[in-house]
Amino acid sequence: MTHAAFLVIAALAVASALGLVLRRNAIHGALFLVVNLGSVAALYLTLGAEFLAAVQVIVYAGAIMVLFVFAIMVLIPGKEETGLDPRRGWRLLALPVGALLALQLLLVVRAGVGPVAPAAAVPGGVEAVARLLFTRYLLPFELTSVLLLAAMVGVLLLARRRV
Amino acid sequence: MTPLAMPPVAIGPLAPVLIVLGAAGLVLLLDLLPRPVGRELIATVALAGLVGALLATLARWGKPGRAFQDMLVLDDFALFANVVICYAAALVVMLSIDYLGRNGPETGEYYALVLFSTGGMMLLAAAGDLIVLFLALELMSLSLYVLAGLFKRELAASEASMKYFILGAFATSFLLYGIALIYGATGTTNLDRIAAAAAGRAHDPLLVIGLGLLLVGFGFKISSVPFHMWAPDVYQGAPTSVTALIATGSKAAALAALIRVLVTALRGSQPDWAVLLWVVAAITMTVGNVVAIAQSNLKRLLAYSSIAHVGYMLIGVVAGGSAGPGAVLFYLLTYAFTTAGAFGVLTLCERAQAEAVEVGDYAGLARRHPVLAAALGLFLLSLVGIPPLAGFVGKFYLFAAAVRAGYLWLAVIGVVNSALAAYYYLRVVVFMYMREPEGAGARLVPSFAGGLALAIALIGIVLLGVIPAPFADLAQAAVAPLLR
Amino acid sequence: MSTVWLIPALPLAGALLNIFFGKLIGRRAHWVAVPAVACAFLASCVAFARVWHGGSFTSSLFTWIVAGDFEASVIAYVDPLTGVMLLVVTGVGALIHLYSAGYMHDDAGYARYFAYLNLFVFSMVMLVLAGDFLVLYVFWEAVGLCSYLLIGFWYTRPAAAQAGKKAFIVNRVGDFGFGLGIMWLWTAVGALDYPTVFKSVATLAPPTATGIALLLFMGACGKSAQLPLHTWLPDAMEGPTPVSALIHAATMVTAGVYMVARSHALFERSGTALEVVAWVGVATAVFAATIGLVQTDIKRVLAYSTVSQLGYMFAAVGVGAYAAGIFHLVTHAFFKALLFLGAGSVIHGTGGEQDLRRMGGLSSRMVTTTITTTVGGLGLAGVPGLAGFFSKDEILAAVYHANRAMWALLLLGAFCTAFYTGRMLFLAFYSGPRMSKEAAHHVHESPPVMTLPLWILALLTVVTGVALGAPSDAGTRFARFLAGVFPIHEAPHGGSVAFMLMVLSVVVVAAGITLAWFMYMSTPVRPEAIGRPRTLVHAFLLNAWYVDRLYDAAIVRPLLALSGYLARAFDLGLIDGIVNGLGRAVVGWAAALRRVQTGYVVNYALTMLAGVVLFLAFLLSR
Repeated sequence: MTHAAFLVIAALAVASALGLVLRRNAIHGALFLVVNLGSVAALYLTLGAEFLAAVQVIVYAGAIMVLFVFAIMVLIPGKEETGLDPRRGWRLLALPVGALLALQLLLVVRAGVGPVAPAAAVPGGVEAVARLLFTRYLLPFELTSVLLLAAMVGVLLLARRRV
Repeated sequence: MTPLAMPPVAIGPLAPVLIVLGAAGLVLLLDLLPRPVGRELIATVALAGLVGALLATLARWGKPGRAFQDMLVLDDFALFANVVICYAAALVVMLSIDYLGRNGPETGEYYALVLFSTGGMMLLAAAGDLIVLFLALELMSLSLYVLAGLFKRELAASEASMKYFILGAFATSFLLYGIALIYGATGTTNLDRIAAAAAGRAHDPLLVIGLGLLLVGFGFKISSVPFHMWAPDVYQGAPTSVTALIATGSKAAALAALIRVLVTALRGSQPDWAVLLWVVAAITMTVGNVVAIAQSNLKRLLAYSSIAHVGYMLIGVVAGGSAGPGAVLFYLLTYAFTTAGAFGVLTLCERAQAEAVEVGDYAGLARRHPVLAAALGLFLLSLVGIPPLAGFVGKFYLFAAAVRAGYLWLAVIGVVNSALAAYYYLRVVVFMYMREPEGAGARLVPSFAGGLALAIALIGIVLLGVIPAPFADLAQAAVAPLLR
Repeated sequence: MSTVWLIPALPLAGALLNIFFGKLIGRRAHWVAVPAVACAFLASCVAFARVWHGGSFTSSLFTWIVAGDFEASVIAYVDPLTGVMLLVVTGVGALIHLYSAGYMHDDAGYARYFAYLNLFVFSMVMLVLAGDFLVLYVFWEAVGLCSYLLIGFWYTRPAAAQAGKKAFIVNRVGDFGFGLGIMWLWTAVGALDYPTVFKSVATLAPPTATGIALLLFMGACGKSAQLPLHTWLPDAMEGPTPVSALIHAATMVTAGVYMVARSHALFERSGTALEVVAWVGVATAVFAATIGLVQTDIKRVLAYSTVSQLGYMFAAVGVGAYAAGIFHLVTHAFFKALLFLGAGSVIHGTGGEQDLRRMGGLSSRMVTTTITTTVGGLGLAGVPGLAGFFSKDEILAAVYHANRAMWALLLLGAFCTAFYTGRMLFLAFYSGPRMSKEAAHHVHESPPVMTLPLWILALLTVVTGVALGAPSDAGTRFARFLAGVFPIHEAPHGGSVAFMLMVLSVVVVAAGITLAWFMYMSTPVRPEAIGRPRTLVHAFLLNAWYVDRLYDAAIVRPLLALSGYLARAFDLGLIDGIVNGLGRAVVGWAAALRRVQTGYVVNYALTMLAGVVLFLAFLLSR
């Protein structure tokens, strides 16, 4: 049962990711991204990480995506201004090279992956996550706040009209 | 609900980083004051933070500390790397003061971001856990992405910033995937516990792919071939002071973290990564040096030169043992002084309303500004590796480590490359001393702080070249904690 | 804790201070430089005291690179010979530094001058302290560089710049051989440090030893201005006079003698080399002395006399009388420094006059200079009782027992020496004044800062000989002191032969001075008659045996023509072709690689992706 669910959800995630990359229309792309984020959230659920799944839906699929769509609609993207890439043909190489990577990974999976260490049993509740964040992962947690601050400062600096 | 048992928080090992980040906060606050304060004051605060961090780092020498459940390992290795990083960042701040005033926006955020980035570098070198490593790497990189695009009115700067950001994110995704796979294989992100769990499982595919993807992510940060292509564009487009930080600090931090991960967590896979990095080192130095020959833009030239130097340093990583990483640490120190100095000279030069970045701009510099030309000449000679300057001694230790570890051919390739490199460095010297400029060449823009930074860098390369032994001994000793 | 490191460190610190803060220090440069060398002298005394009773010690001065079992370090090797050399270099050096404070006092490059002078003392001290041939070579070159800087100190004068260049090039010729010799030594012995080398020379085949020794001696010829590489030294007089005193008389030029004496084990292994040394020394001694007979420039007289005296030293070490050679080196350092400083005092007092024809009658105006310089001159001539007499007599006795022909030639040289010294003293100080009234009016004695060194050196010239050089059955005191370093080959003293030799040399000296008195004192001097070639021999000597012209015609011109021809025929076609071809290949490759750098993010990302695939393929295939 879980196996079948995984296959379906994963196929959906991959398909939506492909759609995101391949569609020229930005709005369509954004909508594909919503589907992608949602299916990843579903994957989290099947792994028993309810909290992560909820956060994924609320923060990413909800808030961030709305911002994305707004931004796309407000800023109408202009034409490319840089001219043609002289090595444009090379881009087609991406397909075989990507396929090679996929093949490698497939071969590895086929050859059988060694024992996967059992992940630390984390009941996916808010409390458990909070407990971990404030004890074991205190440093990364605080570090994230610094990272966000730096990101904010940077964005403000780049976005400011003065200069 | 059971009460939360807060673990003991040891601030001590975190102190140097906290000083830097605190200074960053202070800089941001100063920038918010209703009446704008002078940029000198802001720069001074930033510099004071870095010097404070440097002192705090030096004060902890020989007193290793671990904190936050081994997520932070401030051993001598991290301390040595942090000294290099603090020095580099301090030089960059000193160089920035007048350079920014001339070319760019007068903002406090610049210094805040430099400090954030520096904090990230210091944490990166001290990370004992892959999660902290990743976050530190992001803190460092994110700040650098923004700094690279600081000169928004210049198209090249925006383009550089964007490229750096997109490709950086691309590389980081590989790194993150690698971390996830290693976690999957070993069930932990702690470096020591990974080593324990991975013992005897060197050929576990998960682990092998994890290793490969980690090397990809680090390869981008240190700009080794084939993940180097961003470097010339970014080095050229970014403000020169930021370029200096990217070339010195970020490289030092990433190399230190790479060595720590390889030598502690993945020591079981050494036969694998050593051979792979052997090839990468050989190709990196060759490509860097060969392409540098064709460059006419000094910043691009130095970008390729820095790629080549990463190739040299990877020789030390390949050589392993205690001699190899020790030689890399020492090289990082010499390289930080030399490269910061070379870029520093560029920040002090300008030509009619623009930066002087073409080699041709420096024609006849020796006649117009003999001291400046001599300084740049010395930095370039140190990059070539002419005794008794620091660059020679650094290369000597690297190649000696390789030879003693049995990598004779790698050392030979390194020596051949050094000879090749002399061509393009000396070409600049020839321009400065033997050519007359076409039109008005570069001229010096006096700057007290910048001059002081150059003086410090010069003293550094001469001192490290003439009496290298004590510093090299420290670098060797600093590697010991990794090899337990 | 050894204090040996202070000896080089102090002058080096002085030099660096004056180089970097010269503008700030300015006229006070001597307050840095003079104490630095004076303290180095005190430190040398301490080191000397440690080897007073013989024996030797080593002291690590500086460790450069340590990597595993490889260690590049500078180790000082101190034995009695080193101790003597240290005392001479720092002692005479300190006196000349002091003198320079007066002589150079209104020169524009005051700080630069003292920086170079300190740098020279540093290099020379390191040359003497070196414990292996590599360090010796490095500082051998360094003293050459300092000499070049100081000869060309007044670089705006074309003659000075030219002389500096000449010294540099001629020295390079010698150093080329010296470098080859050291390389050969290394391949033959496998080590370069003195103890190992001198222990293992016994295993060298004599032809090998001969080859190495002769190449090393080639370097010595360059540095010590022996035939055929002597031509630079007379020209080097273009530098400031204290420099001539320090470098081109007292210290640097003796480096060659020191090196041969230090490597005597190697030279003895090859008897041929030692013989060559002796003959070159004898030839140079006579050759330079004959040229000195006719010079009109007071500094050039002294310069040729230096070349000649160095020849005596080489003759001594060449016949195995090492201690005698080194003793002459020491006494020569005293009286030749004294003579140069005296000449400098004359030049200073007469407002820059160097020509003997326009001097005369200075004895009444410059009493101190006259007395001290006369003492130095008598020392050089070898008047009994003074230092030069004892040291030269020691050499003559040793050579007499080795080879009569050499002895006869050296005796002839001694006669010439006595003559030109007397001639110089008479013309400068005692004959009637020949300068213009106005010039004569300005003649004045030099300040005490310059005369004090003169007095000290004169005192040393008087006492050194009696104190250290008095012969006895067991050799001189000086030779006994060096007995741990050199085997004693001294001639047997006492007996009628030694006495006869001594009497003979006294007679020769007296004859030389008397002849000079007859020619320049008994009748009034006609300045226009001096320095004019009257006979072929005179012209031959005035032109220094035409050696410079010979070199010009036989070496310089053909070489220029050849290089011009090669540049046209060979370089352009072949070498340039190869080099350019190689260069073009690399540049072409570089351009091709550069084209990959398109600037498009997508392409960069694609390259990275390819890299990922390659990495994983490689790792998985293992």
